[in-house]
Amino acid sequence: MSASTRMSSRLAGWLPRIVVAPSLLVVIVTVYLFILWTGVISVTSSKFVPTYDFVGLEQYVRLWATPRWHTAVANLFIFSALFLALSTGLGLLMAILLDQNIRAEGALRAIYLYPMALSFIVTGTAWKWIMNPGLGVQKVVNDLGWTDFRFDWITNPDMAIYTVVVAGVWQSSGFAMAIFLAGLRGIDNSVIKAAQIEGASLPLIYRQIIIPMLRPAMLSVIVLLSYIAIKSFDLVLALTNGGPGTATELPSTFMFSATFRRNQMGVGAASAVMMLMTVAAIIVPYLYSELRSENNG
Amino acid sequence: MSRFIATALAATMLVPVAAHAEGQIEVLHHWVSQSEVDALNVIRKELEAKGFEWKDSAVGGMSGANAQQALRSRLTAGNPPGAMQFLGWEGVQWAEQGVVRDLNDLATAGGWREALAPQLLPFVTSGEAFIAAPINMHRQNWVWANRKLFDDAGVAVPKTWAELIETGKTLKEKGIVPVAMGDEPWQIGIIFDALLSDINGPEFYQKTAIDLDPEALGSPEMVKVFDMLREVRGLVDDNFVGRDWAVATGMVINGEAAMQFMGDWAKGEFLAKGLKPNQDFYCFATPGEVNAFQYLIDSFGMFTVSDETVQKAQVALAETIMDPKVQKGFNLIKGSIPARNDVPVDDFDDCAKLGYHERAAAIEKGSMQGAITHGFAAKPEFASVFSDVAAQFFVGKMSSEDAVKMLVSGIDNAR
Repeated sequence: MSASTRMSSRLAGWLPRIVVAPSLLVVIVTVYLFILWTGVISVTSSKFVPTYDFVGLEQYVRLWATPRWHTAVANLFIFSALFLALSTGLGLLMAILLDQNIRAEGALRAIYLYPMALSFIVTGTAWKWIMNPGLGVQKVVNDLGWTDFRFDWITNPDMAIYTVVVAGVWQSSGFAMAIFLAGLRGIDNSVIKAAQIEGASLPLIYRQIIIPMLRPAMLSVIVLLSYIAIKSFDLVLALTNGGPGTATELPSTFMFSATFRRNQMGVGAASAVMMLMTVAAIIVPYLYSELRSENNG
Repeated sequence: MSRFIATALAATMLVPVAAHAEGQIEVLHHWVSQSEVDALNVIRKELEAKGFEWKDSAVGGMSGANAQQALRSRLTAGNPPGAMQFLGWEGVQWAEQGVVRDLNDLATAGGWREALAPQLLPFVTSGEAFIAAPINMHRQNWVWANRKLFDDAGVAVPKTWAELIETGKTLKEKGIVPVAMGDEPWQIGIIFDALLSDINGPEFYQKTAIDLDPEALGSPEMVKVFDMLREVRGLVDDNFVGRDWAVATGMVINGEAAMQFMGDWAKGEFLAKGLKPNQDFYCFATPGEVNAFQYLIDSFGMFTVSDETVQKAQVALAETIMDPKVQKGFNLIKGSIPARNDVPVDDFDDCAKLGYHERAAAIEKGSMQGAITHGFAAKPEFASVFSDVAAQFFVGKMSSEDAVKMLVSGIDNAR
C-alpha cells in the first residue's frame, strides 16, 4: 500500500468525524452547556440577574411551595396525556380510514394535514374565538334556537385546560395521521392477504397484525408529539394567555414569567430543571425499551 | 454567543437614520403603538434640535419584558444602549448592578428632585445617585363610564364602592354589561389595587402593598377587600375571557358596557372617537373616602459608556426629557400627565386636569401611592403574588378567607 492511499484512507476514516464536529460542538454548547448552566443557577439565590452563591435546594423548596407551580404541573399531565392519547388515536383512525382506497384521498390528506401548516399562535387565536361563548359555537347554537346550550369551558377555570387540548389535537392529529399513513403504506400486502386466506376478519387483522407492525411509526409519533406537548408555550399564550386567572398555566409559561417578569431567576431555573427531569423520566425508559427491542429484532 | 444574539437583535430592530450630528444615542424602549411613537417624536425632535441624533431601538411586546431581555443580552455583551426606558424597579435594580450612569449633577443643577413628588424618588434614585429621568405619569385607578347609559338609567357617578355596586346592579337589570374587562391578571389587579386603598385607606395600602406587613396582609380588612372584589365579579359578563383592555374600552364607547376600571391610557380610545370628557363619557377616580392616586411612571436611564460623544448625548437627552416644555408636548399626545409637578396643564383635557388636581391633593393626604400591578409598590416577586391571588379568586369560586390565607403564604414564600 502506497503512502498516499494510506493517507487518503486515514482521511476517509476521519472525514465523518470532521464533518459532524461543528454541529456537535454547536449542540454541546447551545444545548448541554446551557442545561448545565441552568442547573447551576437553580442552586443559587439569583433574582434579577445571575448571582453565583450556593444556597442548596432553597429554590426548589420555594418552587414547590408555590400554588401556581402545582397548577402548572397538574395541567401539564392533563394536557400531555389527553393530547398524546387523542392525537395518536385520531391520527391512527384517520390513517386507517384513508387507507381504504377511497376516492379523493390526496385532497382529504391535504385537508387533514393542513392545520399542521399553521403556527400555534394562529390556532390558538382562532380557537379562542371559536370557543368564546359570546362569539363562537355557543352563540351560533343559541341563535339557532337551542338557547340552553352551554359551551363555556374557556371561561371556567376547571375546564379551560381542556380547551387547550382541543386546539392542540385539532392541530396535531393530522400530523400523526401522515406518519401512520406512511407506515401503513410500508406494510407488505402479502401479510394481509395471508391473514385473509386464514379467515381473519378485518378488525382482527388491524388489531393483531397491522397496528403492531406500526410500532416504529408509533415511536416517532409519540416522541414528536410529547415534545410538542411540553413546548406548547405559544398555544397557551395565544389561546388563554394562562387564564382564566392562572388556570391554564403550564410549566413553560411559569418558567418564562418567573425568570423574566418576576425577578425569580433561581425559581425559574429550578422549574426548568424539574421539567427536564420529568421529560427524561418519561422519554428515556421509553426510548431505551423501544430501541433495544429494535436491535433484538 | 450572547454577543451574537445582541448583534442579531440589533440588526433587526434598528431603524437607520441620517448620519452626521454631534453625537448619537441609541434608546431602547418598548413603545410601538402610534400614539406612543408620536409622543416619543416630541423628545426626538427636541434632541435633534440640540444636534444629537436619536437612534431608535424599539422592542415591543410582553409589557416591556422583551425589551428587558434585549437589554440583558446587550449588557452581557458589554454593549449597552445609551439610554433605556425603565418601568417600576428596573432602573433601581440595574443601578444596584453598577451599570447605570449617575445624573446627580444634572439633577441638582436643574432642581429635579424638587420638581418631582417625593413618592417618585425611590424609583429614580439609588442612594445618593439620580439614575433616571421620568417623563410622564399615568394614574391607574380611573373609572371610565358611558354618560348616556348613566343618564338613561338615571344613575349618578357613584361616591362609594357600595354605590358603585348598586349602580352596576341597576344597569344590569336594564340589560347592560355594568363593567367591561378581561380576565388577564393585570386587569383584575387594577381593581384589587384600588380596593386596597379605597376600602381601608392609604395607610392600609402602605402596610400591605409596600411594607408587606404580615399582620395587615392577614387581617379582617383584607377579607373585606376580597368580599368587594367578589361583588365586582358579579357585574362582569361571562365572555370576559381573553378580552383585551382596548376591546373592553370599545364596549364602553359603543354603549354595550357602562364602566371600565383602567389607567388613563384608556382615555386615548375615547378621544380618538371624537368623544368629549364629561359630555360623552365620565372619568372619575375609583370611589373612596380618601381619593387614591395610584401612579406609574415611565423614565429613561442612561448606561455607563466609555464613548464621550454618547456621554454628551446622554446629558442632552436627560435634559430634554426633564424640560417642562417637552414634558407638556409629550404628555398631551400620550394621554398621561407630566411627571414634574410644576408643569401647568391648562391645555390638557378635563380628565388630565382632574387627575393633575387630585394628584396635588393626594400628595398632601399621603394617598399618592405606586400601583402594585404596574410594579410601583412591592418588588416584582411580591407584586406577582398579589396579582396571582386576585386573579385566581376573581375567576374561580374561592372564599375570601382562603384568598387571604393564600396571599399571606404566597408573600412569605417569595421573601
